[in-house]
Amino acid sequence: MIVITPACSPRADSSPDAFRGRHLAAPLDSVTFTLPDTDGRPFHFGDQTRGRLTFLFFGYTNCPDVCPIHMAALASVLQRLPFETRDRISVVFVSTDPDRDTPERIREWLDTFDPTFIGLRGDIATVNRIQQQLGLPPSSIATDDAGGYMVGHAAQVLAFQPDGVARYAYPFGTRREDWLHDIPRLLRP
Amino acid sequence: MIRWWCSAAATPWTWAWRPYPGVWIFVALLSGAWFALMRRTTADRSPDTPSGVPFFIGVAMLWIALDWPLGALAGYLASAHMAQFLVIALAAPPLLLLGLPRTPVPPATGMRRLITHPLLTLVTFNAVVVATHLPAVTDALMHSQTGSLLIDLGWLAAGLLFWWPVLRPAAHPWFARPVRMAYLFANMVLMTAPGAMITFSDLPLYSTYELAPPIPGFSPLDDQRLAGLNMRVGAAIVTWTAISILFLRWNRAEVRLMESESAAARITPDPDPPASHGTP
Repeated sequence: MIVITPACSPRADSSPDAFRGRHLAAPLDSVTFTLPDTDGRPFHFGDQTRGRLTFLFFGYTNCPDVCPIHMAALASVLQRLPFETRDRISVVFVSTDPDRDTPERIREWLDTFDPTFIGLRGDIATVNRIQQQLGLPPSSIATDDAGGYMVGHAAQVLAFQPDGVARYAYPFGTRREDWLHDIPRLLRP
Repeated sequence: MIRWWCSAAATPWTWAWRPYPGVWIFVALLSGAWFALMRRTTADRSPDTPSGVPFFIGVAMLWIALDWPLGALAGYLASAHMAQFLVIALAAPPLLLLGLPRTPVPPATGMRRLITHPLLTLVTFNAVVVATHLPAVTDALMHSQTGSLLIDLGWLAAGLLFWWPVLRPAAHPWFARPVRMAYLFANMVLMTAPGAMITFSDLPLYSTYELAPPIPGFSPLDDQRLAGLNMRVGAAIVTWTAISILFLRWNRAEVRLMESESAAARITPDPDPPASHGTP
């Protein structure tokens, strides 16, 4: 699969107070978009995520590596957090493969990690426009030898803090211990 | 591109067979070395114990551990990596040593006596076990074929060294069977420490396995716990099997000794027979 990964390490700064995520040179503020969730209801990103720590990730359910690894890590980490902390966090997954990712398929796939994860689906032009708004490259299709295809997409998870601003991104390679280290810091006002 | 040795790969796991020619060459070299050794030595073998059998069982075990699928899975699952370790370091080496020609052992020189000293072999083996299971070492080496080969060869060398005094104790006459049993037991106890560290860790220790393309049904933490369990249970099985064999041989030797002593007592004429009290 083609993975567009920024050249960075989740542990650029090893000081204990430093975040392990990659600091965004230009924080993402006032990000709003609306896409239908897996129940078909419109989900207003921005309005419905304000006041919560929200992890936003673009991927697809047939993804063999990056997507399930990120989702499994987040699910595992959230299980370890106290309920009151866990209750302030959302995970939003936006499909970059709407042709294969039906709402039912997305829901079924997300439920294997955590049933509270939110799945969104829109046409690929809309999804690419949202990715562009977030400074992410548009997703791309790469056919494989078996006649199928893979979807290239950004490999980082964007962390929108409760004030609605994303200051950190978590590339592929972020480990559970990194998430556990950063989540309490991301929740601080 | 053909990969010659199994290592961690970034590609998703599939059950499609893949060749690892380096493993085949290794197995062929090992087998060839045995035949060459057999030709060069005048083996003093009894007909009921063909020395090639255990050796080639050991070679077959190494082949299974290093080649597809187990060798390849060891780049995805910590539990498979641990199964590899158990075979390469603990199970195969005694069989390889048992299969070597039983030539009369020349007197041990100072250096050989030192290298095969049980205390040193015990410490060396456990140092290799701990070092090769340190997350930093595993994560640094497992992603390259050369690094993975180094780990595998390190395990095999450490295993051969560890088992040498148990199976070839001639250089250390004090290392009798009861002491050898204690040696094996001590090793099992020492291996509990890394096994427990792996089993009871709250988080995945190895980025290699935490970030490996997932295999359905295995979460990284479950896989790691299984690896720790593998280590402890596998080491216990090998150890207790070896201790049982040593105990049975020790017992048999003692029985033979007692029998030969009593036979000798029966045969030896009494120099001062008791006076006969009966009068026909």
